[in-house]
Amino acid sequence: MIDLINTSSSIINTASGALADSWWTRMWFRHSGSTFAPSTDALYYYIFFISAFFFVLLMGLLVYFGIKYRRRPGVAAPLSPAHNTKLEIAWSVIPAILFAVMFFWGARSYLKMVVSPSDSEVIQVSVWRWQWEWVYPNGATPIQNEKVNDREMPFFALPVDTNVKFVMSSQDVIHSFYIPEFRIKRDCFPNRYTTVWVRPTQVTHRWDEDLEKAVPIDPRNPGYYLFCAEYCGDQHSQMANRVAVLTRTDYQKWLEAQADTSSIPLIELGLLVSRNNGCFACHSVDGSRGSAPTWQNIWNQPRPGSRDGKVDFNYVRESILEPGVFVVPGWPNNMMSYQGRITDREILAIATYIQSLNPEFAAQAQEFSRQEMEAQESEDADPIDPLEPEMN
Amino acid sequence: MAHHDVSYLAPKETFLKTVMSWVYTIDHKKIGLMYLVAVLLMFFLGGVAAMLVRAQLWEPTRTVFVSEDGSVYMNPAEAPEGERDSLKTETRGIFFQPITTYVSRPAVNLLSGSTVGAVITASQDGSPSVSLPESDGQTSNPLNIALTDDGSPIFTETTDQRGNKVWELRRENPDSDEPGPVLASITVDGRGNPSAEAGSGLSTRKTTIREPGSTITTNNIYNRMFSLHGTIMVFLFIIPSIPAALGNIFLPIMIGAKDVAFPRLNLMSWYIYVFGGIFALYSVIAGGVETGWTFYTPYSTTTDWGSVTSMLLAAFILGFSSIFTGMNFIVTVHKLRVPGMGWFDMPLFIWALYATAIIQVLATPVLGITLMMLVFERMFGIGIFDPALGGDPVLFQHFFWFYSHPAVYIMILPAFGVISEMLAVHCRKRIFGYRAIAFSSIAIAAISFLVWAHHMFTAASPVANVIFSALTFLVAIPTAIKVFNWIATMYKGSIAWTTPMLYSAFFLFCFTIGGLTGPPLATLSTDIHLHDTYFVVAHFHYVMMGGTVLAFIGALHHWWPKFTGKMYNEFWGQIAGWTVFVGFNVTFFIQFFMGTQGMPRRYATYSPEFELMHKISTFGSWLLAIGFLIHLVVFAHSVFAGRKAPRNPWGGLSLEWETESPPLEHNFAREPVLTHGPYDYDTVVPPHYDPALYPLPERSDNAPSHH
Amino acid sequence: MTSAPKDKELKPWEAYIPQHHWRNATDEAEGAKLGMWLFLSTEVLLFAGFFCAYAFFRLLYPENWHDASRYYLDWEIGAANTAVLLLSSFTIVLAIRAAQQGNRGMMLIHLGITQLCAAFFLIVKLGWEYWPKIRDGKLPGIFFDYPAVYAQRAAEKAMIVAPDAIIPAAQVAGDYASTFTPGAHDHIFLSIYWISTATHGFHVLVGMFVIGWAMWKAYKWHYGPRHYTSLENVGLYWHIVDIIWIFLFPLLYLV
Repeated sequence: MIDLINTSSSIINTASGALADSWWTRMWFRHSGSTFAPSTDALYYYIFFISAFFFVLLMGLLVYFGIKYRRRPGVAAPLSPAHNTKLEIAWSVIPAILFAVMFFWGARSYLKMVVSPSDSEVIQVSVWRWQWEWVYPNGATPIQNEKVNDREMPFFALPVDTNVKFVMSSQDVIHSFYIPEFRIKRDCFPNRYTTVWVRPTQVTHRWDEDLEKAVPIDPRNPGYYLFCAEYCGDQHSQMANRVAVLTRTDYQKWLEAQADTSSIPLIELGLLVSRNNGCFACHSVDGSRGSAPTWQNIWNQPRPGSRDGKVDFNYVRESILEPGVFVVPGWPNNMMSYQGRITDREILAIATYIQSLNPEFAAQAQEFSRQEMEAQESEDADPIDPLEPEMN
Repeated sequence: MAHHDVSYLAPKETFLKTVMSWVYTIDHKKIGLMYLVAVLLMFFLGGVAAMLVRAQLWEPTRTVFVSEDGSVYMNPAEAPEGERDSLKTETRGIFFQPITTYVSRPAVNLLSGSTVGAVITASQDGSPSVSLPESDGQTSNPLNIALTDDGSPIFTETTDQRGNKVWELRRENPDSDEPGPVLASITVDGRGNPSAEAGSGLSTRKTTIREPGSTITTNNIYNRMFSLHGTIMVFLFIIPSIPAALGNIFLPIMIGAKDVAFPRLNLMSWYIYVFGGIFALYSVIAGGVETGWTFYTPYSTTTDWGSVTSMLLAAFILGFSSIFTGMNFIVTVHKLRVPGMGWFDMPLFIWALYATAIIQVLATPVLGITLMMLVFERMFGIGIFDPALGGDPVLFQHFFWFYSHPAVYIMILPAFGVISEMLAVHCRKRIFGYRAIAFSSIAIAAISFLVWAHHMFTAASPVANVIFSALTFLVAIPTAIKVFNWIATMYKGSIAWTTPMLYSAFFLFCFTIGGLTGPPLATLSTDIHLHDTYFVVAHFHYVMMGGTVLAFIGALHHWWPKFTGKMYNEFWGQIAGWTVFVGFNVTFFIQFFMGTQGMPRRYATYSPEFELMHKISTFGSWLLAIGFLIHLVVFAHSVFAGRKAPRNPWGGLSLEWETESPPLEHNFAREPVLTHGPYDYDTVVPPHYDPALYPLPERSDNAPSHH
Repeated sequence: MTSAPKDKELKPWEAYIPQHHWRNATDEAEGAKLGMWLFLSTEVLLFAGFFCAYAFFRLLYPENWHDASRYYLDWEIGAANTAVLLLSSFTIVLAIRAAQQGNRGMMLIHLGITQLCAAFFLIVKLGWEYWPKIRDGKLPGIFFDYPAVYAQRAAEKAMIVAPDAIIPAAQVAGDYASTFTPGAHDHIFLSIYWISTATHGFHVLVGMFVIGWAMWKAYKWHYGPRHYTSLENVGLYWHIVDIIWIFLFPLLYLV
């Protein structure tokens, strides 16, 4: 049986290799991006050709019989056997054998998919409604964004010819991690880890030193999609991200750049961090009503009942780390805590960003952002007190 | 007795008695006919939901760029250089229209006697706001509240002993510039609840005001539409369609019985169905479910739409209806066959219904208990399925699919049965491999209990997946055998291309595609890619709609003359059939390519590369709708102006063709005597059929033997 | 239709004629029994859902399950109820036997005993099992509150002993507390306990109604040697209710 699978898989691999990137493969599948793709596609074509053969055979007979034996007045249906044991055994056993090949071949490829090699680079994937977050081995979460359909979403890069293992868990409901080009999919559950691994084979992006970000090599191929494949509610269809594959050296450069947010001024960093953490799924910055209060013009506004009485650095900090302590009247208490997911400087950045959204305080926010940048650069300077600017 | 000679459709002496003869009926034919009307209504509702789903995907949720002259671009880079700066963004999508939400906020009415003088509530920033009553579009000021020039009330802010901010609302003082006396003092607490202390002669009453919030953009309507489509089609349409409607009418007649074994239980099953249907409709009216028909936890336990519980109860109740029908059919087949009819003398439709009934009885209770546990989970937080409480969402999937996979065969096995009947009658041919078809029904029923986890290849453990993948291929074999047998039945037949025969051919075409796209989903490595994509959507629509629904429509035409006593218009029946067939394939065939290209299912929006395929699919859905509407007209025409049907319009041999059209109240004037098998087409001229129109083949000594 | 001659002397069971669509009374009785067996199989599968959930969580949390059964359930009460149900199964068999012999008196007596057993079962269930559990917060899922109730008890116990000062109050409280260690998934054990026993209890209640109905029919002479189908079906139903309890009892209370 295994021999049969090996033989047929090698034949089909050769055949589909010859067809690679023809109209035929493009009609069926996206770009083949991982080591899994060729074998999965080959098996698919094997099943397809067998199915096509039987379909054409059966439908040919249907049409042929339908015409040849159509009813004619006064003509009897000729006698024919009511059953034929040999024929019936044949059409039971032949499909059974073909099915057995499909099963063994599929199971063999599948078991390769589930056992990840020990030398894999591990990426932690965290997912919640409606956002993916990848934490790279160096602790970085991407700061590069790419527009997917009409949303700015974090951009995820992977190294080529390297085994990458994703350790995934969900923060709320079930999601499913799906990258069509890699032919991988795995559900993510709350309170549980699931894994999937992949070895990308095609480079899609390169590191651009001037733009300080990864850009497509071929503008017509903007990279792969990461989809959520398990229905998870309102914006299920909008949680799509770009996934790109870089050469290993480019990947290292990209990764270092993602880890280092210190050179990004606070206001810009605030925008970035908010985006990467999915804040804009609920909070708007233009005053429109989402499923959480807008950030526009709230800086320094009274928040009766909160500890400080108005929106300031402490208020923003508390809202991020302990969102349930004070809930703005009129909105549900459904934000999760970002305790441990976000650094102090990032909180400061978000607060400064919110400050900059109020025209009255925009200049102050710019000034604070600039001062903080200078303080970062000159190590001698005293660490800046975040509460300072609002004292002014 | 006299009523034995009357058609079951014959009206009684008075209108009221006629109505009552339906309401209290224990006649299986009347119950079946009521089921038929109900499932067709549900098919219509579910179909409308499906059309809306496809409509959304014609114009999905997305932001486009519109230039001043009205041209639309997906990407600003596509626009001509000069126009890029003047592009405006616009959100598109059928169900993504911004909708106005209403916010309920606590408020205080300031009353003078019974007249509301003003309504006080908290504004966004925590201070109170006061609105004056309106009548006939005019704002009145009955309490003479001091107003600014633009008509808004004036407050003065003070602080009480405890440090709370208190706002005072004052009466106007026309005589001087000094502020007037205090009308009421208002405090707003930290949670935004206002309270007011009224001045002399006034009182307060707590109330809420409902005011328009701003607009929100959401896919919830789309999500509810596809969930509605799924739940209605599965629980209220397909499962009862062939067994409870056509099976109820024909099972007893085809085995020569007067009724089903438990006629009252049958009536109860119908009323339970209605009761469950009411719960389902209530759920729709109360806001609809947005969990999908699969109710996966923890989504279904955390979503706050109250109507989910009512939909779960609906499915639970409908389960009982299905169980009772199944029990009734099993006992009827065992105990009420006409004397002389052995198990292998039964028509294959009866075998299929028998196999279906076994699944209904054995699988449905598990769904019942699963849904009950989910209801408890939602109501009492019992924690069995909720990971936040230590439970396991995958356990729910196992429970759910333990029923819902066999349920797939509850849906398709009866269709296999009617195809066997229709092919034999309209090809005038003994069914090829009778025993193989009969046993394969039972084999499918048995194996169907062992394959449920193939719905969970991306969720369950690898070892389980390998086992379930192997078992899944087992169920494919008897299914393949059936298709081969049906095609072989046409060999050397005398095939009349009537609407039922046409539908049998459509069934064979679509079901073969549906069946052949099963192996890529049963094979583990390919399923990992195809799971939860449009490939799956296309596959199960080819099986459920291309299989069951097409067989159901064909069977309706096949038996229509029998149970209504009227012929339908053959020409328009075939026109409608071709429209449905073409529409169906245009709608769903393209979805296989969407699936292999990686388009996940249940998406309200998609990337631009899928646009053409989605538009083709939506276009097909319109054709499909037109086809069904033509069918509706054909049936309506038949009811009101159809030619009277003869007893045996097609020349069928099973027992239902021996009785009147429509049948008598007790099916047969006297108990039928079995003189031939249901498929002896090459030796027997069918009863009540013109022998001149039914030439028998010449027999020779070496003629093939009977089965 | 073959109808028996109308005779005022005949009791209903003697004059019984099958419904119009049955060929004879034997077919009807066999059909009814077959239907009942099918119904019983659905009942078994319904409870199979609970048993699967039980087995699943037992495999996940074996220690926790073992302790939970000890801490929250009294096997003595369960055993008493088991004995009562076994007795009632026996008496309902005797009632059927009495019907076969045409002995209305014994039939009514045995059905009456069965009815009393069922009532005893439900009263014990409500009064000695459910009520103390509700009081102590041994409730399913999010309503589970026993550890807090227990801590309160320990504190109270310490207060009572403290004035004597022979044993230090802290030690008393400690001793008391050491008899109970809450597990992380006790609430799920209790969820399964509550929903499965409550569903079973509901079946017992339904059983009481149908036994009552059978008693009324027996009183009206509807059952006799030649016709007692519905009594037999009531008996079958009652047996399945017992058998389900016989599985629930060791799984929840003993294992």
